[in-house]
Amino acid sequence: MPASPETAPVNPRDRIVDAVDVESFVLCESEREAREVIGQLMAAMGFDRHVIVSLDFNGPGAHFRARGYVNKPGDRYTWLRP
Amino acid sequence: MKILLAPLDPVHDAGLKLIRRRLEALGYTCVLLPPDITVEEIGEAALREQVDMIFIGRTVGYGVEQLFQRVRDVLTRQGVFGKIRVAIGGMAVTDELAKRLGFEGGYGPHTTIEEIHALIERNPELARHVTHPVKHKPAFPFRHDYRVKLAETRRYLDRIVDNILEWTEGKTSPGIRRARITEAQLREVKGSVEDYTALPFTREYLALCDPVVVDFFQKNICPPTVRQLSQDEIAAYFRRIEQAQQQFHPRVLQHDRKQPLVFIQYGTGCPMMDGLHIKVAESRGADGVLHFDPAWGARTEGLLDGYLTNAEDGTPVTYANLALIKRSLDRATLWSVRAHRGLNTPEIVVLAAYLGADLTKINIPYGSLCGGTDPARLTVDGVEAVRLAARFGMPFDIPTNEELAGVPPHKAFAGMLIMAQLGRRLGAKPILKPLLCHGPHILVQGWMEQNYVDYNCAKIRALQAVADFPIWPGEPIGFMTHDEEKVRSAATTALHAALCASLGVDAVTVASTDEAFSRGPITAAARASALDGIAETFRFFGQTDIAPSARVKEWTEQLVEQINRTLKAVADAPSFVEALYGGLLGDREDGVYPGRAGRNSVIVEAAPAASTARACRAAAARKRPARQSMLLRATKPARRCA
Repeated sequence: MPASPETAPVNPRDRIVDAVDVESFVLCESEREAREVIGQLMAAMGFDRHVIVSLDFNGPGAHFRARGYVNKPGDRYTWLRP
Repeated sequence: MKILLAPLDPVHDAGLKLIRRRLEALGYTCVLLPPDITVEEIGEAALREQVDMIFIGRTVGYGVEQLFQRVRDVLTRQGVFGKIRVAIGGMAVTDELAKRLGFEGGYGPHTTIEEIHALIERNPELARHVTHPVKHKPAFPFRHDYRVKLAETRRYLDRIVDNILEWTEGKTSPGIRRARITEAQLREVKGSVEDYTALPFTREYLALCDPVVVDFFQKNICPPTVRQLSQDEIAAYFRRIEQAQQQFHPRVLQHDRKQPLVFIQYGTGCPMMDGLHIKVAESRGADGVLHFDPAWGARTEGLLDGYLTNAEDGTPVTYANLALIKRSLDRATLWSVRAHRGLNTPEIVVLAAYLGADLTKINIPYGSLCGGTDPARLTVDGVEAVRLAARFGMPFDIPTNEELAGVPPHKAFAGMLIMAQLGRRLGAKPILKPLLCHGPHILVQGWMEQNYVDYNCAKIRALQAVADFPIWPGEPIGFMTHDEEKVRSAATTALHAALCASLGVDAVTVASTDEAFSRGPITAAARASALDGIAETFRFFGQTDIAPSARVKEWTEQLVEQINRTLKAVADAPSFVEALYGGLLGDREDGVYPGRAGRNSVIVEAAPAASTARACRAAAARKRPARQSMLLRATKPARRCA
């Protein structure tokens, strides 16, 4: 039996205003490899719409910040759902 | 009530000392034990001093749960625990942890004195009396005498302003006529958003609009990337905003100075996303916000209407969109709606005024040379917009973002000072908005190779030497010093803000940490990060000024001299409009050129004054198409479509 609106669990992702940033350091041998790894990581996290905001490859790998969009301006925002 | 404060730490007792001072101010008697004592000694002191309550502080966080379990066991053996109330605190302590271990309560690094007071008195109501700063909307801009201090500068400015007013006399434009229609309608509906939006469009208004606006009203076709928001979306949005407002406590960014006020720019494309970003910015201490519309809006004759969202940068200016934003603002937040650069400049001033905007933005040279609007058209519309701003009591700022195209600062400043003096002549309150950034001209000249301080100081000091106008650097400060990496971006914005504080300016416009990121929309978190960085930097510097190097004096004098030379050239030109066409305030070599939008749309309602006739003859004599023509149109009486 489906849950009533009052008891339906809230998807925490629906509360994200616009995007989730993921910042970390990946071990890799080139900037290109870093981009591939980050793309796979964001897709695995369920972000269909993602972009690398910053990437700095040097030495052991790359310091990066990637962004997965939940709501973009003009969308029908998840945080407006009842 | 007597309270024992005991640091269970080899050295750290500053937190408990602070709590002692605050509790004594509330009337409690406190006994503070020295650091480096045992739990047994704490229990003995509590019994000896016959205290009513014990606060035990542990700064170091590792193994804190096991430590306080042992504290509880020792105090129990001593007959203290259960007889005297015990609370614990420290970097890793939470109220939840403390209660789980059987203590009265816990306090951590963000616990307020009101919460500790509530804990002592076992009265949760006291925690609700947290002393948050009270923010009132400031009277902005701050007090200035608006006097041009240098006689030479004043002389040139007065001549140029005389010429502008003479040149624009008897002229109008489709933009001015639409503004009058709009104002008449707003007056009729007493500014009501619902009533205004429900009004049928008028044939008179549409006759003055571009096809894209006509199609919107007559065929319900939205421009690409734009869609209308549904009533359900609007209602759900306002529920969110009302909830946010109930939980909101003001935050003050300025630590030990009253200024600069800190503004952010919004314009994600969607008024609802903008509203939420504004709430985030207010929660991090922003004092004001500026509305940014899409670039195509400035090049289109006429405004759309209703609640509209745009999937690209810039939020469409409509009365309903602006009303939605207005309703989202905290009462202390200053609100500016930019009108400055396009074909709808006077009309936007009218909309902003009827919604109670605090400020607007108008700059004829910028809009003409960098914003894509024909100089003659924007001169006519700009003068009308300044008159409206004066009539509505809305101060207006004068951005100089033509510097970002490569115009040297002295030319941009000359144009800005002309607008300021025009504003004063028409009874308005102008605000100078110099760029405080690593602009292209400065980059090419290498003036900021050593640091970002000196030349920026020279720019502000030059303006302060010339006149006493309010100064509000933007837009945003630190432009072209930002980086896609968040920490570096926040740092450069915060340091530019600190420099502005040191220079005594009235306000600043700041970027989010996404300023240099151009592959997607900016985020609410990026706004919060930038404002948090500013708060820390203001806290760091307090009232300490930044001392620039000696070369600032030479650069300041050079700038003043260059500004005056530019003003003289403009004053000597056949007209201000001719000066704009002629590139005296920025030319193709500088990276700017006269705009084309609205060309040949100036309408002469009365016989042109002598200077206008001269300008027309001069334009014809240049053997190239005149940049403006005296297009005569019959005015239609206002009449609604049924």
